[in-house]
Amino acid sequence: MDPIQVVELLLFPGVTFFVWLAFLFEWLERKTAARMQGRRGPVVTGPFGLLQPVADFFKLAAKEEIVPAEADTFVLTWGPALYFAAPAIGLAFIPVIGYQSILYNPLDLLFMLFVLSFSTLMATLLGYASAGRYSTIAIGRLVVQYTSYEVPLLIAMVTPAVLAGSLSIEGIVAAQSSVWYIVLAPVAFAIFVIATLAELEKPPFDIPTASTEIVGGWMTEFSGNALAYVKLTKNLSYVFLSALAASLFLGGAGGPVLTANADLQALFYTCYFLVKLFAVGFLIFAIKTALARVRIDQAARLFWTIMAPLSLLQLALAILIR
Amino acid sequence: MSDPVQSNEQTEAGAGLMQYSAENMMPFGPVHPSLKEPEYFKLYLQGEKIVQVVPRIGYVHRGIERAAQERTWVKNIYLFERICGICSFHHSLSYTEGVEALAPFEIPKRAKYLRELVAEFERIHSHLLWLGLLGHWAGFDTLFMWIWKDREHILDLEEAISGNRVNKSYTTLGGVRNDLPENLAEKSRTEVNYLEKRAEYYKSLVQSEETLSVRTKGRGRINQETARKLCPVGPLLRCTGIARDIRAEDPYAAYGEVPPQVQTENDGDIASLLTLRLNEVTDSCRLVKETLEKMPSGPFRVNFPRSVPAGESTFHVEAPRGELFYFVKSAGGSVPERVKVRTSTMANILTATEMLKGHTLADVPVVLTGMDPCFGCMDRISVVDVDKSKEWTVSGEQLRRYGIEYYRRK
Amino acid sequence: MARKKVGGAFGEMFRTVLDHPVTVEYPFGKKVVTERFRGKLDIDPVKCTGCSICEIVCPADVITMVPVGKKVVGSREVDIKRPSFDLYTCISCGQCVDDCKFGALTLTHDFELAVFKKESLKMTKALRVGK
Repeated sequence: MDPIQVVELLLFPGVTFFVWLAFLFEWLERKTAARMQGRRGPVVTGPFGLLQPVADFFKLAAKEEIVPAEADTFVLTWGPALYFAAPAIGLAFIPVIGYQSILYNPLDLLFMLFVLSFSTLMATLLGYASAGRYSTIAIGRLVVQYTSYEVPLLIAMVTPAVLAGSLSIEGIVAAQSSVWYIVLAPVAFAIFVIATLAELEKPPFDIPTASTEIVGGWMTEFSGNALAYVKLTKNLSYVFLSALAASLFLGGAGGPVLTANADLQALFYTCYFLVKLFAVGFLIFAIKTALARVRIDQAARLFWTIMAPLSLLQLALAILIR
Repeated sequence: MSDPVQSNEQTEAGAGLMQYSAENMMPFGPVHPSLKEPEYFKLYLQGEKIVQVVPRIGYVHRGIERAAQERTWVKNIYLFERICGICSFHHSLSYTEGVEALAPFEIPKRAKYLRELVAEFERIHSHLLWLGLLGHWAGFDTLFMWIWKDREHILDLEEAISGNRVNKSYTTLGGVRNDLPENLAEKSRTEVNYLEKRAEYYKSLVQSEETLSVRTKGRGRINQETARKLCPVGPLLRCTGIARDIRAEDPYAAYGEVPPQVQTENDGDIASLLTLRLNEVTDSCRLVKETLEKMPSGPFRVNFPRSVPAGESTFHVEAPRGELFYFVKSAGGSVPERVKVRTSTMANILTATEMLKGHTLADVPVVLTGMDPCFGCMDRISVVDVDKSKEWTVSGEQLRRYGIEYYRRK
Repeated sequence: MARKKVGGAFGEMFRTVLDHPVTVEYPFGKKVVTERFRGKLDIDPVKCTGCSICEIVCPADVITMVPVGKKVVGSREVDIKRPSFDLYTCISCGQCVDDCKFGALTLTHDFELAVFKKESLKMTKALRVGK
């Protein structure tokens, strides 16, 4: 890897950029949910409360970490770092400043699938290592929910790959220069968004972290530094999945550029990417705010009986179109 | 009269619970995010299914009945209204009406109408609070925020009348403390009309919203037979189809002249409780408007003697949660000899535990909230006799028999 | 029975975004209270006669009558008493306001009563009058 790549990976549009985007997403989520509920959201820290998520992160990092006696300290120390690494690396494969992403592999869509399952695996491990009664129930629910939404999500992700004829994100983005895949495969987009709600544990699928039933879900026994990173990672996965949706269905960073200057072109591409990213993110928050929580068996039934067949149908349609 | 206090193991063994091992026991409480007040429920689980619930109460026991024996009659109003924040006015209302029954003269009519007005305000506020909380516990925070936003209208009205939003201290022995302020009648009508429209909207929302109705339809179902055996009170009873409402059957304040329409639902589950309480909100809005229309003029307060004549009286009111029952005994002095409070949550708690059987852990907050629990009201079961230094728990059967005897003699 | 659908809250949600939020900007803005709001107790020392009724009726035992002098009534010498208020314990119920026949007590609209020391909430200004 040449030094420019390393700098890109670390700064822009790599880890640092996406971490700030994650904070911004959390702020946006709190602000829009508040406005839709008739209240204000964060207002005090920073202009318009923009620094609130950052303040929360540092506050949590400064607190004492209390670990239960029977918990596995090795996993609880290194687990959050691994949990953070998964979406962070995944994001490096998504093109932001142009049609090229920082890291490239002809099969990187499969790597995205791996990132998603790895996240859930780490969450399960962390919940199990916490050894609390509530965490145990929560990871049971988490695994059930994961197995339910995985199949429709996989099929929904493969649909754009079929339409584009390529298994790399770059290739899919490039193939959408004529028409966005949301037009050709709207059902797949809808299924992807709903499965994203389940992956991120947001209503109506926030069963694993149902705070009013099982306290904190699998994050119950976390505090201090570990909790700060876990929350950051959740926000980062939010960005990751929205970026994936934007790239697979909305054409990612692609779009018409009006200059021939390479740097300005990069600016255009970044703007397109950000706009689409926020559009998908906003769609997800709007859905999350409007719905109550369903029970785990109802969620499982929804995914297996409705989503999976729909996604298969959509895939068949896509193959036909192609 | 008394059995010695049984240890918990004995009681549980008697109920055949020792077959369930401790690993299957999930504690719910005393401190839990979904409980407003601490209460301990031992949930016996098989997998995620609940097979038995054993409640243990007493975490909010504050010795209020004992404290009442040392305070004068008027000071006790402030003590009793702080038993509960949500049904605070009904506690002070029941107490003052109970004490006034011991005295030989009538309180003015205007005072009765004013008491009904504020009581209905409190009913609206309590039901809206419950609805919002149910939304929150079902994971529907948006509904929670919206309903509590609308509840602010009622709280502002209560503050305009009495000076405080929660512990209103509006009644006093002999009437009420202030008259209506100037423009309150106008303002109340406007706010109440607004709330009626909102209640209609919320009713359509909770009935049609799929994610909410899968959590509430068919959950916590009780039928009329179980209801007759376990004797719940209030909306929990009315949602099974049994139409009992103390405001209609045994009117107090001005309910004789401005009666409520008793609402019932037939399904006996949480969804019907939602509809029922929203219907009650609409009915309370109608009552507020009618009370304001028919309000007679006149004094709002009469002087009440410092020492209350000797005697015993009982009084019950329809608090937002159900029947609230006060027993007041006077020995002719300036302090009461005994005041006993039996709140509605005390009557509802066994029904709620019955409702939970067969459900999963995920349903516990929603079903438990269905009875609108107010554990702060509830914890008053032990009786301590200071003179004889004996302590015993009063059983439900004893209270029931005593109540029948008392009313027969009345 | 309403038709079952998902997302019945959407329309209302977007309407709420356009409305002004209902959050009161306290403490960066003013909190409006109604006229009858029961806040901190205040006494008008001129009107107080030391009859001690407020001490008798207070449910929270806030008021203590303190002797500040002596006067002659008939053939005896009695204490002149004036009230001292421990407003830390006061619940602002207003019973003393209702029962004071001379109208010396009022409940103000002040509700910002957080202090660092309990003693700073003792109100003794009535003790200076009444020699």
